Amino acid sequence: MKTGHSFKQAVLILACIVALLPSVFMILTALKSQEEYTFNKVGLPDALVGAHFWAILSDSPFFHWMLNSAILAFGAVVLGTLVSCTGAYAIARMEFRGRDTIFAISTSLMAVPPVVMIVPLFVLYTQLGLISTFSGAIVIYAGLITPFSVYLLTTFFRTVPQELFDAAVIDGANHHQILRHVVVPLSVPALLTLVVVNALFVWNDLLIAVIFLQEDGKRTLMAGISVFQGRYNNQIPLAMAGMVVASAPMVILYITFQRHFIRGLMAGAIK
Amino acid sequence: MTLSRKLTPYLYLAPMLALLAFVFGFSILRVFEFSFKMVRGIDGPWIGLRNYRLVLSQPLFWESVRHNLLLLLAIPAMVAIALLLSLLLYDRLRGWKIYRTILFFPYILAIPIIAVVMKQMFQFSGPVNEVLRWLSLDFMALDWIGSTDVALWTVMMLIIWRESALGVILFLSRLLSLDESVVEAARLDGANWWQRAWYVLIPQMRGVIEFYVVISVITMLSAVFAYIYMMGGGRGGPGTSTMVTELYIYNALTRSSLPGIASAVSVMLFVVSLALIYLLFVVRRRAGGEGA
Amino acid sequence: MTNKPNSAQPFGRRRFLQTTAAGVGGMALGSLFVPLVARAQTPELTMWWWGEQELPGLQAYVDESVAAYTAATVKPMLQDTAVVISQFQTAAAAGTPPDIQYLWNGIYHMESVWFGYLKPLNGLLSEDTLRASNPTVLSNFGGNTYRAGWYPLPMVWYYNKDLFDKAGLDADAPPKTWAELLDACDKLKTAGIEPLGGGMQDGYWAEWWMSHSFVQTLDTAGEAVELFIGDKDFNDPRYHEHWVRLEELRTLGFLNKDMPSLELYPGIDLVVAGKLGMGQSIGSRLPADSKATNGRIGSMVMPVFGKGKLAGKPIVDTQGLGIAEGSANPEAAAAFLEYLNTPERLEAFHKATGWLPSSSRFDADLIEDASVKAMWKAWGQSPNITNVTNLMPGQFYEQAAIPTGQQVVQGTLTGEQAGELAARVAQEWRDFNPDLVEKYQQWVVDLSK
Repeated sequence: MKTGHSFKQAVLILACIVALLPSVFMILTALKSQEEYTFNKVGLPDALVGAHFWAILSDSPFFHWMLNSAILAFGAVVLGTLVSCTGAYAIARMEFRGRDTIFAISTSLMAVPPVVMIVPLFVLYTQLGLISTFSGAIVIYAGLITPFSVYLLTTFFRTVPQELFDAAVIDGANHHQILRHVVVPLSVPALLTLVVVNALFVWNDLLIAVIFLQEDGKRTLMAGISVFQGRYNNQIPLAMAGMVVASAPMVILYITFQRHFIRGLMAGAIK
Repeated sequence: MTLSRKLTPYLYLAPMLALLAFVFGFSILRVFEFSFKMVRGIDGPWIGLRNYRLVLSQPLFWESVRHNLLLLLAIPAMVAIALLLSLLLYDRLRGWKIYRTILFFPYILAIPIIAVVMKQMFQFSGPVNEVLRWLSLDFMALDWIGSTDVALWTVMMLIIWRESALGVILFLSRLLSLDESVVEAARLDGANWWQRAWYVLIPQMRGVIEFYVVISVITMLSAVFAYIYMMGGGRGGPGTSTMVTELYIYNALTRSSLPGIASAVSVMLFVVSLALIYLLFVVRRRAGGEGA
Repeated sequence: MTNKPNSAQPFGRRRFLQTTAAGVGGMALGSLFVPLVARAQTPELTMWWWGEQELPGLQAYVDESVAAYTAATVKPMLQDTAVVISQFQTAAAAGTPPDIQYLWNGIYHMESVWFGYLKPLNGLLSEDTLRASNPTVLSNFGGNTYRAGWYPLPMVWYYNKDLFDKAGLDADAPPKTWAELLDACDKLKTAGIEPLGGGMQDGYWAEWWMSHSFVQTLDTAGEAVELFIGDKDFNDPRYHEHWVRLEELRTLGFLNKDMPSLELYPGIDLVVAGKLGMGQSIGSRLPADSKATNGRIGSMVMPVFGKGKLAGKPIVDTQGLGIAEGSANPEAAAAFLEYLNTPERLEAFHKATGWLPSSSRFDADLIEDASVKAMWKAWGQSPNITNVTNLMPGQFYEQAAIPTGQQVVQGTLTGEQAGELAARVAQEWRDFNPDLVEKYQQWVVDLSK
């Protein structure tokens, strides 16, 4: 039905407008001069002002913050994935006492809200001098992503056909070789999804970052945005330029790797 | 399995167990322990249930819980929006893939970024109100950010805006995995779009809808820190109108230096989360039966 | 700490990190080894400080002073806003504190005193230097003074002289009494100008409101503490009158409409930009604001409604420096602080930062801007009091001091209800923190002098 079609299209277009509106506002505002924004909040900029972007790109802590976030994401994902791979392999393909219990407990840990962990870890880290250290924060993030990673990988490893496994055993391979040369190559899609989910989790996190990485030099992008907004709350166009720069990495990755991204985000939601 | 030495499994498990024992095991045990102590700095004397009694008799705590519960009202809206949009996308009209890319975009932007932008858009003298006033809808130009009556609803709007995008993708992927022949048969029988959606498609989505609802409930109760922290000026404001449980814990730890109090609330939140997770397992078992 | 903007949002006001037992243990061990090492040629001192964030140019001043000082080798370190206190307390408890430490006023450093981390300065610096630096009464405990003042933060009410002219008010005679204030607001409103206010969303305006108005109802700073420990009650009309006054301003329609959603600094900008008649501000902004408006921003003391002895007095908060109890060479540290208080160094401070140092030895004639000079004459060089909100326990600050102002300005609380909320939160603070109540009870003695 043609009228039905155009109505549906209209609804979808309206939804798209609502979805994009804040980003449009963000970009348009970033291109206005400070003075212009005071009287022209809604419309298009009279003259395109690049000064704010220049200021952000040349002399702001954003890139340092992004680097910190990247370090954390990398470290946590590497540690978490390694730990989860070996653990999931054991659960999926080995027999030992308590296997199902361990898997059940590990899986149920996915449900524990991270906020529950912050008090004891904060106190412990203060005692050990681990506040504002990358290694300290990486351990926490790695721990938080492990239950989900183990769950996902175990499920996946269990689907590897037994014949492949048996063939490798006959060839004289030990567990380590099987894991490396048989299981992991087959699991690349699952691993990729996992990396995306976990990296996003660490990149987007605010709670852990704000508590465990307080020093200016170690601040993450998310925590930095909070600081930045407070410092420049009377320079809105500049603040918006900062937001554009801050969102750039994810937006670029999203547009380039849409499919993987979407799959990864969906898997993350299932967490 | 001639390969298994007795120790091998445990060797493979050890790193995972060690990490989990540290991050989760140690923390959970310790948070229970702290909740029964008057902790200053790194430790303190045992005071039994005093922390719990103090917290449970404090109006601010109950206000925080109430706000978390109010946020649950976002869920029906999220489900409705996500369902509508995913069903529309499922028609796969011309250009539907572009729509899909755009509609998922809200979930790509990190919460702090979108919160900063929204905070400016919804200023009392900001662009949204300017447009409303221009359209002679002055009565709708509320003090979105500054009014204690409205602020929580503004945060809720932000949550709905962002989390619905996730629902769209979840529901759409479920739809795309369905057997088209049933829908086709219904269409041939003369069912219109609405009837097809209500009688054929949605019933097959029950599992994923229930799943989405449960994870959203968990989110509203224990994972809205970033939204609240950024929109509420870092302190659950204006007044205490956007204070939630996570922020209560955070403030007790960092601003009042009362780890014992923070622990008591953490324990209560933990127990509630476990109960909800049990619910989630029940739901997923049912969803598993439907082939989600 | 009152000067939030131009600096990172403070992560947390304070952090109790160690039990005193651990602290004493660490200190005892540390002090065994120290005398042997200290026998070097020129003593080595470490100084942890803050302030470049709110006072650009301070870093240059510190570097220059350290380079010029020959009696010791000083190693300075600029701290991050979020860890100024916690970093010091951790180091002090571990037995390795810096010799000199930057200290915000009031409870922010007093808890370090209670943990035994700070040395009394009255034995180390000359009494003259100490007094001239205006550490304020909030640095006193048990008869000792624990800070030397470094630079002041006068708390002023801004008013826009051009807008005053427009409304037919005398730009050189701002209102002094509450009645005069209401009259001025009325005239501004009639002239189509929003009379008074600022930005309340991030909460600090509510703190400043208490700094200016709550203090008018008190005779001594100790009286504020009595309200926390329970000897006096916020339900008493005298102690919530300042919220009733705020309510009055709201009901008369004198506050700017976007006050609840605007933040503090954008709110002050409204006064500077000529969109708001009067507002609360901080003196260290004045050099820049005065320059931007060609001297058309005036500073005034908040008009008086209260009958306490502290009413009508200019308020000057001070950022300070202290010496750690665990310092290996407190005498050398004190000598460096004396050096920073020489007239030559004070002048250098002004040159480097464009702002004023806290010592009365500073030659005010060196100030070029007439408005800043006038402000300093009326605030720093006249009898003044300090910012009593520095006394507040963190829990009270977060759960009462900020929310009351925000809700009164919005109309969801009356002044009287604000008093009830404050009284209730004060009681909760007492219930949650019996150990702090004890310390505060001792503190009242020093603060009531």
